[in-house]
Amino acid sequence: MLIEIVEILLKIVIILALPLGALPIIIHVERRGAAFMQKRLGPNRVGPFGLLQPLADVAKFMFKEEVHPTHVRDFFYTAAPLVALVVALLPLACIPIAAPIDAFGKTIYPEVFRSDMGIFFAFAASALGSYGILLAGWASNNKYSMLGALRACAQMVSYELSLSTSVVAMIFLYGTNDIHLIIKAQTGYWFGFLPMWGFFLQPVAALLFLVGIFAESNRLPFDLAEGESEIVAGYHLEYSSMKFALFFMAEYIHMIALSALFIIFFFGGYSLLPGMEIIANKSPILLVALQAISFITKIALMIWFFVWVRWTLPRFRYDQLMNLGWEKLLPLGIANLIVTVLFVYFRNP
Amino acid sequence: MEIASFAVFFVIACTLGAFLLGISSLLGQKRKIVRENDVYESGVNPVGSAIRQYDIKFYVTAILFLLFDVEIVFLLPWALAYGESSDKAFMISGFVFFMVILLVGYIFVINSKALKWEE
Amino acid sequence: MSVDIFLSLLTAAFALMVVFSKKTVVAAFALLMTLLTIAIIYFQVGTVFLSAVQVLVNAGAIAILFVFVMMLINLEQFPNNREKNKMKLIITSFTVLVIMGVLALVINNNIEMLSVENLTDNSMKALFDKLFTAYYLPFELATMLLLAAIVACIVITSHEKHEKHEKEELLETEKNR
Repeated sequence: MLIEIVEILLKIVIILALPLGALPIIIHVERRGAAFMQKRLGPNRVGPFGLLQPLADVAKFMFKEEVHPTHVRDFFYTAAPLVALVVALLPLACIPIAAPIDAFGKTIYPEVFRSDMGIFFAFAASALGSYGILLAGWASNNKYSMLGALRACAQMVSYELSLSTSVVAMIFLYGTNDIHLIIKAQTGYWFGFLPMWGFFLQPVAALLFLVGIFAESNRLPFDLAEGESEIVAGYHLEYSSMKFALFFMAEYIHMIALSALFIIFFFGGYSLLPGMEIIANKSPILLVALQAISFITKIALMIWFFVWVRWTLPRFRYDQLMNLGWEKLLPLGIANLIVTVLFVYFRNP
Repeated sequence: MEIASFAVFFVIACTLGAFLLGISSLLGQKRKIVRENDVYESGVNPVGSAIRQYDIKFYVTAILFLLFDVEIVFLLPWALAYGESSDKAFMISGFVFFMVILLVGYIFVINSKALKWEE
Repeated sequence: MSVDIFLSLLTAAFALMVVFSKKTVVAAFALLMTLLTIAIIYFQVGTVFLSAVQVLVNAGAIAILFVFVMMLINLEQFPNNREKNKMKLIITSFTVLVIMGVLALVINNNIEMLSVENLTDNSMKALFDKLFTAYYLPFELATMLLLAAIVACIVITSHEKHEKHEKEELLETEKNR
């Protein structure tokens, strides 16, 4: 009993500490990356290379005045950032950072919420992400906030469709919905050098999923919810100090969780990076550590990709965004699904 | 067991958020400036209430999302069952029928221009 | 067992909140919580797939619709209609009667309740075996139902005819001038 309690608490601490601890680093990388792409220096005064800047920001968020406007709906106004953060954290409970371990006479699963439907629960939890935003927009009682929330919600649901079609295609190909089996299917090499990642099987599905992540986490080029030139800051316009920071954190954690799902489906999840197998066989503890390192490295590369895209593509116009989602990506997803299914059927009827 | 660990996870996540909210409201600076608490409309005096009637298209988008989402959720068990089924031709015929109906609905939506935003 | 009772009570409490709360948005969020607690009950009972779908569709899509409507139209602008109280009474008594009837049926006929033991034996596989053999036709017909819903949604919300009329009227008035 005691071992089980320790196990659960340890898993929770690890899965919460990793993304929350990575947040300041990600924000710093984002700023320095932005500066690098615009030939600026970026924050470099606080600490060596500006590394302590995120800490200074946290301190600032704590000591800033909390403006509580008089026209807001008090309860929901305070609850909205909390809802946004908690809902963003939920999918993390279903994501394993390493393979199951045999220890203490049983199999220990690294995910907090173990279920063979884990992947569906992760998606379902990320689909709840729009509630925090809707609540914030409505409770703020401000036209900009309201419009931002409605836009964000309509955009998130539209792109969730094409994302779901790509998920169906991948689950059909793997024939399973267990995260560990999906990753197991992706370990190994084709022709001796090409990793058996889902990306090489289903590049179209990968593209749909990737675009879906950008839209779901409201990142550029899909950050219409915040569109500074039109609606100032969107749903978090009336928020200040730590309440604003919670939305900020929620957005980044949502991004991390969706990236993790993307990597599980298309880049082999925690399967070892090419070249690591040679040293991994020496001890089971080393294997687990290397798996975690592989997974974290892949997510870090994804985050860098987010930053890269942010300063490469301009923002869409709203009608372009909706047309892209409904008239291009959704039919592409359906066509991809039909082609995949028929291909599998006719190859092996 | 899973429920218990999920419940603990949920409680810890909530506590974390509440702690962050509480710490800033404790430590934060406090001032009383009336103008600061007004509706922000880019420095102009606010006109009317924020709760007004917004474009019906947002609602249409949400409803169509719901319907297509249900169709895709129907496909999930199908995709899982296909591998284990013995009669593949039967499964595929059902899939083709399903997709034809889905496409009819989709083409109807696109033709009706219900989701065209520019006007 | 105590967990089950706690979850049922929680669900019932949220459901009562949906009915009795005066503010529509509070009711909508109480509905969301009801759907989520029902999903947890499904999980607890062993129907994991149903639980995932419950969160994905009911909580992730249907409840969003409710919240959307409440935010899109200004419900506060409509004054509470007190005259409908008679209708309310009739509906309430009818609902209570139906619930009592169902309860009486269940208690009298000893209708077999879903027991956890029957379901935990890989319920997903059992579900799929049934769904894709005996119930394949209803499964397919569900798409027809959804198609009908799509058409209805488009037809109800489109303003094409109204706009045409308005345009014609405008043209006529201009001609008359």
